[in-house]
Amino acid sequence: MQERNGWGYRATLAAVFVGLIVLPHVLSFSQKEVLVFLVINVLVVVSYRLLTLTGEWSLAHMVIVGVGAYASTLLAKRLGIPVPLAMPLGAVVAALTAYVLSFPLFRMKAFYFLIGSFAAGEVIRLCWKRFREPFGGPKGIKLVPSFPDIEIGFVDVSFFDPVNYYYFCLIVVTVSLVLLHRFEHSRIGLTFHAIHWQDKLAEAVGGDTRRYRTLAFVIASFFGGLAGALLAHYLGTVNPNQFDVEAMVYVLVWVIVGGTATIYGPVVGVVTLTVVNEIVLRELGMDQARPLLYGAILIASILFLPDGLESLGPKLKGAFARTRTQV
Amino acid sequence: MLAVPVHRILNREPKDACPDGVRDDGNQGEKPMSQNLHQRKIGRRTFLGATVAGAAMAGGLAPARLSAANKTVKIGFLAPLTGPVSAWGLPGLYGCRIWAEQVNAAGGVRIGDDSYNVEFVSYDNEYATDKAKVGASQLVFDEGVKFIMMLGGDTWPGVQRISNESGMLVSTLLPSDLSPDTPNLIAPCEVHPIYNVTGVSWLADNMPELKTAVICAQDDALGRPSVATYLAAFEAHGIQSEDPVFFSLETTDFAPVMTKLLSSNPDILCLDTAYADFVHPLCEQAHQQGFKGKIISCTADYYEQIIEKTSKEFMEGFIFQFPDFDDPALNEPQINFAAPNEFYAEYIERWPDQWSAVSWEYASIMDLWVQGAQRAGSVEPQDVLAGMKQGGTGKHAFGEASWWGKELFGIDNALVGNWPVVVIENGKAVIKEYRSIPDWWSMHGNLLVKHFTEMGEMYHQRG
Repeated sequence: MQERNGWGYRATLAAVFVGLIVLPHVLSFSQKEVLVFLVINVLVVVSYRLLTLTGEWSLAHMVIVGVGAYASTLLAKRLGIPVPLAMPLGAVVAALTAYVLSFPLFRMKAFYFLIGSFAAGEVIRLCWKRFREPFGGPKGIKLVPSFPDIEIGFVDVSFFDPVNYYYFCLIVVTVSLVLLHRFEHSRIGLTFHAIHWQDKLAEAVGGDTRRYRTLAFVIASFFGGLAGALLAHYLGTVNPNQFDVEAMVYVLVWVIVGGTATIYGPVVGVVTLTVVNEIVLRELGMDQARPLLYGAILIASILFLPDGLESLGPKLKGAFARTRTQV
Repeated sequence: MLAVPVHRILNREPKDACPDGVRDDGNQGEKPMSQNLHQRKIGRRTFLGATVAGAAMAGGLAPARLSAANKTVKIGFLAPLTGPVSAWGLPGLYGCRIWAEQVNAAGGVRIGDDSYNVEFVSYDNEYATDKAKVGASQLVFDEGVKFIMMLGGDTWPGVQRISNESGMLVSTLLPSDLSPDTPNLIAPCEVHPIYNVTGVSWLADNMPELKTAVICAQDDALGRPSVATYLAAFEAHGIQSEDPVFFSLETTDFAPVMTKLLSSNPDILCLDTAYADFVHPLCEQAHQQGFKGKIISCTADYYEQIIEKTSKEFMEGFIFQFPDFDDPALNEPQINFAAPNEFYAEYIERWPDQWSAVSWEYASIMDLWVQGAQRAGSVEPQDVLAGMKQGGTGKHAFGEASWWGKELFGIDNALVGNWPVVVIENGKAVIKEYRSIPDWWSMHGNLLVKHFTEMGEMYHQRG
């Protein structure tokens, strides 16, 4: 990676941002819609990665995203709280839910935690299906209030337009990513890494591993819940099927294919697979072959890039250096 | 910079090319049908095209003269083409391909002063709300379609705002999507689940000795309103029903579900509107657990496979609502679906074992769309909607029908008339009778409202 304070790094970063700002203007309307969902999914996978830093993989993350979506929806629709306020409150509810879940879940580790998190997530999801009041039952909640349009003088911003909602999401997700990045590189974040690789040693030097795991779970859930709130108020509906195991499998696939060593690994994973699945294969008119080809791409990726797509850059760089040496 | 009023979005020119989605004008990359016709002997398709053209002319749908100058109208097909619900999407697209071939081969449709070839643009929504939203955006804003056909259900909420903002006319197979907030959504073919009352009514009249029933359904947008309908129909006809058994969409083992259902030794086993993936194992379980009574279900997609898994004897008398279109009863004079037997033969020849409940439905909706467009003299969505509802009636596949639904859905956007009762006899689906849904409603409508209310399915109770 380039030196973070170097001009090259800053120039790359600036180019990426300019690209992200220009991008929606070169896409078709439906591709802009895909872009909105993609930006939201970036927050989902990056928040999920924070939890994996402690070595725990949860199967409840999409349900937690759903908690944020449901909470924000109910706060806005039933209590009349303005959507811009309901969104962060929904994220707070998701974080609190994670905190409550952490008591039983962090009595387990590794595979047991994985299974436990699945069970906990299913309990929440089945509650949404079972209790029609207030969750709407299997059909969920429709006509979710959308993010309010802005009309000030000559400025008329409609969030029905995916470009405007994309910019809004981009701001929220960028700020979230910066916070998550800073957090990871703080003293607490480094402790997460220590717990992941040497949890007994971390305990031996006085680290409260359970507390740190809970902290990672709660913070990941806050940002996951925020992603859920962004989704709900754009889509206009929430229902339990949106946050089922299949959706969670997609998150796992994005993270695994992208890699978890760096913050941009999951981002590369979700962007690549979404572009392949939603744009390339559809553009090729391969609607019905998509699941098959998508699966093949996954297998190939795992076989040839076990450390994720994020390892592709260093590998290519190494191969290039070796070639130059031989020459 | 951010200000983009909705009207500017809606005035976007559609793309000329069609890289997104799948275009389908029935030609499938072959030479134009009109050219092929000159080069072939008279085959099944030629015969079918000629038959349909004749039938269309006789029905007042005068085809345009064969002309290279035909305009093209794009119709969106937004349904699950992959995944567990694809049985109610993909077969419908196949049916539309045959429909488009027939219509375009006959010179297109004459609407106002213009002749149009019909081109379908499909988008696989995977029965997911977000995919449905993206698909609707593509069809409306990128492709410039004039009408969208959907399965509906969980996918409709993702499309609702786009339809409301753009004025796009959308059809659903599930009228439980209808509400006063959906002025551009119509249910012009299948008034699911209301037509299920005809099966129960027929059963009660023909097998009055059957007095007890049990119902099971998946707990979702399809299952619940259907349960309310069956409960109302059973009550209306003096059949005592137990509390319904709901199972989750994730269910794979149906043994305990069936054990619970059969514990009361019922005369009738009602499978509600279960997906094909559920109907098959439920029937297998009922067979294995020795059920001897009658089975009634909304659908029996791929019933030949169920017979293979159980037995012809076990499936004898299975009552459901969706005929095979080779049934002679579909040639009765009141039927508006053109050349149904030939349509079925063509379908089965090209996609063997793929006939399902929806194979003909989307094509039938297209017949109604053509009627509406011709009445309006325009292909614009709001004009077609007005044309379809003109006079309050329409030519439904199974006969003349009326626009209805205010009491149940809050809006008269469902086309309701007769519906067939189908029974499996000697391993083959047979139409036993057409029964009138409005007649049943006029006698027992209050029961339907009662059970819809108890199930929380009335339009004002949803969401």
